[in-house]
Amino acid sequence: MTARRASIVVIVLAAVLALAVSGPAVSQTPKSGGTLNITQREDLPQGFAVHETGTISTSWPAMPCLNNLVFFDPLKKVESLDTVIGELAEKWSWQDNYRNLVFFLRKGVKWHDGQPFTSKDVKFTFDMLREAPDAQGKLRINPRKDWYTNIQNVEAPDPHTAIFHLKKPQPSLLLMLASGYSPVYAAHVPPAAYRTGCVGTGPFKLKEWRKGEFVEFVKNPDYFVKGRPYLDGLKYIVIVERGTRTAALQAGKVDVAFPGETTKTTAEQLKKAVPQLVVTPYSQNVNDNIIMNVKKPPFDNLKVRLAVSHAIDRRALVQAVQQGGAVIGASMAPKPHGVFGLLEKDLIALPGYGKPAEEKDRARKLLAEAGISPQKPLKVEMVTRAIAVYVDMASFVINELKQVGIEATLKQVETAQWHPMATRGEYQIGANLTGIGPDDPDANFFENYGCGSPRNYSAYCNEEIGKLIDAQSQELDARKRMQLVWDIQKKIEAEASRPILDWKLDYFTVWPHVKNLIPHQSIYNFGRMQEVWIDK
Amino acid sequence: MKTYIAQRLAIAVLTLFGMSVVIFVLLRLAPGDIVDILFASAGYVNAAEKQAILKDLGMDRPYWAQYVSWITQILTGDLGKSYRYDLPAWQIIKPLVPVTIELALLSLVFAVVLGVPTGVISAVRQDTTLDYVLRVISLSGLSMPSFWLAMVIILGCVTWFGWIPPLTYVSPFENFKLHVIQFVLPALAVGYRSSALIMRITRSSLLEVMREDYIRTAWAKGQNGRVVIWRHALKNAILPVVTVIGIEFAFLIGGLVVTETVFNLPGVARFLVQAILWRDYPVVQNLVMFIAIVVILSNLIVDMLYGVLDPRVRYGS
Repeated sequence: MTARRASIVVIVLAAVLALAVSGPAVSQTPKSGGTLNITQREDLPQGFAVHETGTISTSWPAMPCLNNLVFFDPLKKVESLDTVIGELAEKWSWQDNYRNLVFFLRKGVKWHDGQPFTSKDVKFTFDMLREAPDAQGKLRINPRKDWYTNIQNVEAPDPHTAIFHLKKPQPSLLLMLASGYSPVYAAHVPPAAYRTGCVGTGPFKLKEWRKGEFVEFVKNPDYFVKGRPYLDGLKYIVIVERGTRTAALQAGKVDVAFPGETTKTTAEQLKKAVPQLVVTPYSQNVNDNIIMNVKKPPFDNLKVRLAVSHAIDRRALVQAVQQGGAVIGASMAPKPHGVFGLLEKDLIALPGYGKPAEEKDRARKLLAEAGISPQKPLKVEMVTRAIAVYVDMASFVINELKQVGIEATLKQVETAQWHPMATRGEYQIGANLTGIGPDDPDANFFENYGCGSPRNYSAYCNEEIGKLIDAQSQELDARKRMQLVWDIQKKIEAEASRPILDWKLDYFTVWPHVKNLIPHQSIYNFGRMQEVWIDK
Repeated sequence: MKTYIAQRLAIAVLTLFGMSVVIFVLLRLAPGDIVDILFASAGYVNAAEKQAILKDLGMDRPYWAQYVSWITQILTGDLGKSYRYDLPAWQIIKPLVPVTIELALLSLVFAVVLGVPTGVISAVRQDTTLDYVLRVISLSGLSMPSFWLAMVIILGCVTWFGWIPPLTYVSPFENFKLHVIQFVLPALAVGYRSSALIMRITRSSLLEVMREDYIRTAWAKGQNGRVVIWRHALKNAILPVVTVIGIEFAFLIGGLVVTETVFNLPGVARFLVQAILWRDYPVVQNLVMFIAIVVILSNLIVDMLYGVLDPRVRYGS
């Protein structure tokens, strides 16, 4: 063999070898098997009782066990009406000009205990949630009752059909039904039993919950979606200490971070240590905001509230407190992270979004008009939760307010006292965080700005805005609805009862072998794990 | 001896009664309760719903009635029901106890194995370079918080070896090697601090004894150095060291919070903090009582040991 021939043979062999090695790596055909280890930041506060809590510490590990009627497509990043897919409902149909929502349920679906799933379960769940007088089940705490106030009646004409009769048209009801907070409970299981166990129809069955240690699930072999889930099991490992959580991810002891827990700085450190880690920045659908009690002086005065809003430099807050890990926006998550965010040109016209020096001058003028001057400064007490993310933000705001003549002292309130205090309005001004389930105005506006809503901490009530909120909820034309939502956001910021400061980003980190776990624009809605597979 | 033990146990019962009152009152003085926390996680408050849950948990009753029912439950061997988990408190507490006891004992073993010999060497080689080095090491142990050391160990493992100890409890019957690895590192982190304390006490106590006449006599008689130090000096210097070891063990049972948290070990101390944050009264009260019992018993054992180690100590009839 000549030298030339020999070299050709070597090259061909090398090419074949390279193809053989690289072949499986480029293949994206899902593989079955394996157990995914997932970080859990604290033990499950209420077990699997998703309907009795508002924390992702419960909903994230409970999601694989349960199903909704409809759900946000786990493979699509953006949640909207277009990405809603059927789960327990095979299909659905709006009737009577969006007054009746008919769900055609899947047949042959079984609960994890073997009982058949029927429309009775749907009626049981949503009668319980809306607290119907004849509801068969009762929750001890019902945080999302407001989501379902428009449902007049839930009918179950046959085992595979459920009809939601609405008081008035509400196309976006579908988005709330698609949230991770809207699973269907089993009618034959007492709601309280979900605090200690989980009987669902979901892709994974609960194997063991070792308190304070881990929650383990195994594949549901009877799952109604053929070929799913891909994984044999899931293990949510409780790691309370943040440093240990990061170390565990870095060492590969866990495959997936906890949603909403990886800051930009941590992600950068992790990426530096393990370059192959996959980091995806996305909106948590959680905002920093200032709550001002409009029922009490001095914040019953619009000029004082506006002065506060003008005084706070949002961009500086994002850089100084969030280390760049947040974006500015009004009361709906800003684009491109959210669907309903204001356009840039509208945003910069709002109080507090212009040039910092000019904004502070404007704040001083407003305060002067309200009789407040550097010689006669306004003294207030700013409350916040005794948690680092709250305190850091509050400290920044206090410094900003000082520059315009408002002297605020910080009062840290323990978690146990925070919501009672805010709900009862026993404060003047506060630094607050608000998380929103689905990225939809109905889920946000009714809950946080609706007159009389327990989570409307500012107690702000404006009839005109209320009518606009109702109008957008009933609007069938998507463009008109968007315009209404933009108008509402501008009006809310102009009234400055709850100025939004920024929207937090999470830097969701997973190992590269974790496939199809795609974060959405809300941390609450992508934890079903049905499509996730491991490429090892 | 029996009378002495009986007297001590009688005093222990009184102490436990006092402890039960203190922990019961302190918990009620802390702002908020489990229902506030539940509503906090839901993000709102409803007075009527709150009242219903308080009633359901028996927390709407007067404090004295709650206290009496708790004590009655303990006396009948029933530890009540965890508010947070809706399960019997004993079911929650039971798996935590062996983890903490094992970690505390292992830490103590490390502390004694490291602390006593280095203390002796430091005393015998007083004011030499070796003495100074050992004193610096012991001072570092006292100055370094164990949680910091624990975190440094974790970060060191992950940075240099790309590895960290198991994150969930590994039973010795399941995998003995992994079980040992899981406990050795946290025990070292905690044991180092305790060993520093034991070393300093051993050194100062031994130095004091070595200045006694009988030691000088032993040296003058030409006895072997090892015999003088280990048989004559250390035996008489060990009493304060035993006292410190007893105190350290009692401290470790309740004081392993951060180490258990950093190493993610499901022990009593870590769980206690979570239970306090959740105002899970039945779990907190019973865990504190458990810690109190361990402290009392370890003190009693140390007092008994005095008699074994020092023939001059006699217990009154």
